[in-house]
Amino acid sequence: MQPAKEICPTTTFNKVKNGALLVDVRRKAEVDDIRFDVPAYLHIPLSELENRLDEIPRDREVIFVCRSGSRSLRATYFLMNAGYENVYNMKDGIIKWAAKGFPVKGNKTALYTIGDSCDCSDPDCC
Amino acid sequence: MSTIIKILGTGCPKCQKMTQLVEEVVKENHIDAQIIKVEDIMDIMQYNVLSTPVLVIDEQITVKGRVPTKAEIVELLN
Repeated sequence: MQPAKEICPTTTFNKVKNGALLVDVRRKAEVDDIRFDVPAYLHIPLSELENRLDEIPRDREVIFVCRSGSRSLRATYFLMNAGYENVYNMKDGIIKWAAKGFPVKGNKTALYTIGDSCDCSDPDCC
Repeated sequence: MSTIIKILGTGCPKCQKMTQLVEEVVKENHIDAQIIKVEDIMDIMQYNVLSTPVLVIDEQITVKGRVPTKAEIVELLN
């Protein structure tokens, strides 16, 4: 298996401006708190990804995002395993994206209310 | 031949719990098994799983995304 292509928020932002699709795999409650404010945006929680693969285009660059870049990395590999070629993981998630000042809608403090060591009570979490 | 048990997970509490339970089951039931923890994301994704922890017994995925009970692990190993 090839290593996933990982990019930073700045490269992500530039790619989105040039037509890439951002796919957010966080849980609905997390997205309700704060979301990426870009036009080409799709929300598919990680738990639904397997059943919603057909919503993700193969002929367009796709960048997976989440809170810290861990869940989105799995999603990236999952799509690579499904034969997708133009797929990227954005490292460090919306935490870094927001910290760099890229557009978000919602409450930034929501990003810091959960520690890095989660309690894993949610099936999507890890 | 020893049973090969792999626990796939990135080191979160649920993964640690599964490891602990599997180790206990193997010890208590005197099962001839080798337990391997797989923590590297690329190695985990060879199994194409989106949620962890995952219990793999002799290369078969038996449980994914949750911590099984000890009774369930015993049954899977018999």
